[in-house]
Amino acid sequence: MDDVSFELVPGEIVALLGPNGAGKTTTLRMLGGLIHPTSGSVLLDHGTVTPVTASRLRASIGFLTETPGLWERLTVRQNLTVYARVHGLASPQLAVDRMLDLFAISDRARDFAGELSKGLKQRVALARTLLHDPPIVLLDEPTAGLDPQSAHEVRELVLRLRDERRAVLLSTHNLDEVDRVADRVAVLRTRLVALDTPAALRTRLFGRRVRVELAHDAASHVSKLRADGIDDVIVHGGVISVGLNEHVTIPELVRRLIESGADINAVMPEERSLEDVYLRLLKEPQ
Amino acid sequence: MTRIAALVAKELAELRRSPSIFLPALLTGAAAIFYPFVIAIIVPYFAGERLSDSSDFELATQMFRSQPEARGLTPEGAIQAYIFEYALVLMVGLTTVTGSMAVAAHSVVGEKQARTLEPLLATPLTTFELLAAKVIGAALPGIALMVACFTIYVGAVALFAERGVWLMMLTPRSLALVFIMGPLAALLGLQLAVCASSRVNDPRSAQQLGALIIVLPIAALQIAQFIGGIVLTAGMIMGIAVVLCAGNAVLMSIAVRLFDRESILTRWK
Repeated sequence: MDDVSFELVPGEIVALLGPNGAGKTTTLRMLGGLIHPTSGSVLLDHGTVTPVTASRLRASIGFLTETPGLWERLTVRQNLTVYARVHGLASPQLAVDRMLDLFAISDRARDFAGELSKGLKQRVALARTLLHDPPIVLLDEPTAGLDPQSAHEVRELVLRLRDERRAVLLSTHNLDEVDRVADRVAVLRTRLVALDTPAALRTRLFGRRVRVELAHDAASHVSKLRADGIDDVIVHGGVISVGLNEHVTIPELVRRLIESGADINAVMPEERSLEDVYLRLLKEPQ
Repeated sequence: MTRIAALVAKELAELRRSPSIFLPALLTGAAAIFYPFVIAIIVPYFAGERLSDSSDFELATQMFRSQPEARGLTPEGAIQAYIFEYALVLMVGLTTVTGSMAVAAHSVVGEKQARTLEPLLATPLTTFELLAAKVIGAALPGIALMVACFTIYVGAVALFAERGVWLMMLTPRSLALVFIMGPLAALLGLQLAVCASSRVNDPRSAQQLGALIIVLPIAALQIAQFIGGIVLTAGMIMGIAVVLCAGNAVLMSIAVRLFDRESILTRWK
């Protein structure tokens, strides 16, 4: 990996995107102090992560690994208690009870981890990640392989972490998930290809566009627009898509269409999918 | 210490769910207890000949009866005490090591294979704490097994051997062997196994390596004692214990240095 510099602030969710082997997990591991960069540094509020400081600084990080990694022959409560004690919490059992309640798994506390469904295992792993109340949360594909309901619950939790002013870094392949929760997106391809809000990335790559739905066929109105110098127009029956710039604004466009006699049903910003953005970024030369 | 204790408790809780892992150790313990009885009690009984009738044990009798604690023993009792006491080395070494070797060998590579290692490494746990917990967690059941075997052994000696022989199992020399040298030697072997476990991809490799390293010296010591090449005195046992302590400290330091988190996380599949 090379040239991966970014900042993560409290109350923010940054999504790490990239193809397999792009370095998402490696980035999370470096930030979590599990492995150390050969050059460059990881700075936390209270110090730089080095082999010497990593152990202490890991206390402020909650790291959800790609797989739940539960000890299957131990109960849910035992799994969490070990971690509560490893984190040196003053009242391990109280902390465990709090997490069991928070994740609605109190009734499964005595079950062996090996007997749980994938979704429940992930919930226990998340409970383990947050047991010590870390201000920084690193999540490696938290919804991978989960059913839609479980995935939804995890996403709700991630949003709750942001509300609690935690800094959240989320690695995922699920672009819909990114669209739903991420404030910013970092695209990796062994180096940082892009880092911005989803909206800013869309604008940067595809420009701003507006979609206008007309009551009748749009062809005649499009000719008029083109005659007026508005060339970036795409027509699909009664719907036209127009590229915006400093000369072509939404009020100006609407005014011209009305002047040309168009009956407008709806005007809405046209958003390219995050998938389009992602694929475009990956196609760009490094 | 809290973190080590937490992890040791976890190791023991996991072991309680897999008692079958101790089956080889139980069999080894039973064999180690049984074989001196074959030599000292069963064979003479069926052969209808006392050990003290044979000139083969003359040297042993002389050596053993020179100890103040053994002066009250009959010639037959002295030979039995000689056999039972020297068989302790093998019993202590084998039961402790076989009871724990599978656990130790499985410790790091097993966690990696079960994908439970990475969440653990993401905590404030240091490499020393992790390895110490793994070694202690593996050693405790082996030591408990060894103490149980020793208790049965002494009980059986009291029941079947000549009067007073069992007291020879409780001399400072024997107790130092059981409670100091045995655990220290076991720790050394287990550290080697844990060390190997953090460098190999397969628990079996670690187990074989660890067992080879510790069982060979124990067997060599046992043979040397029987043929009279080495007579372990209390002083020698304490000396060996000091060397083992130092060896354990050095080995832990090496193990911590050899534990390569990056390699374990990124290259092991």
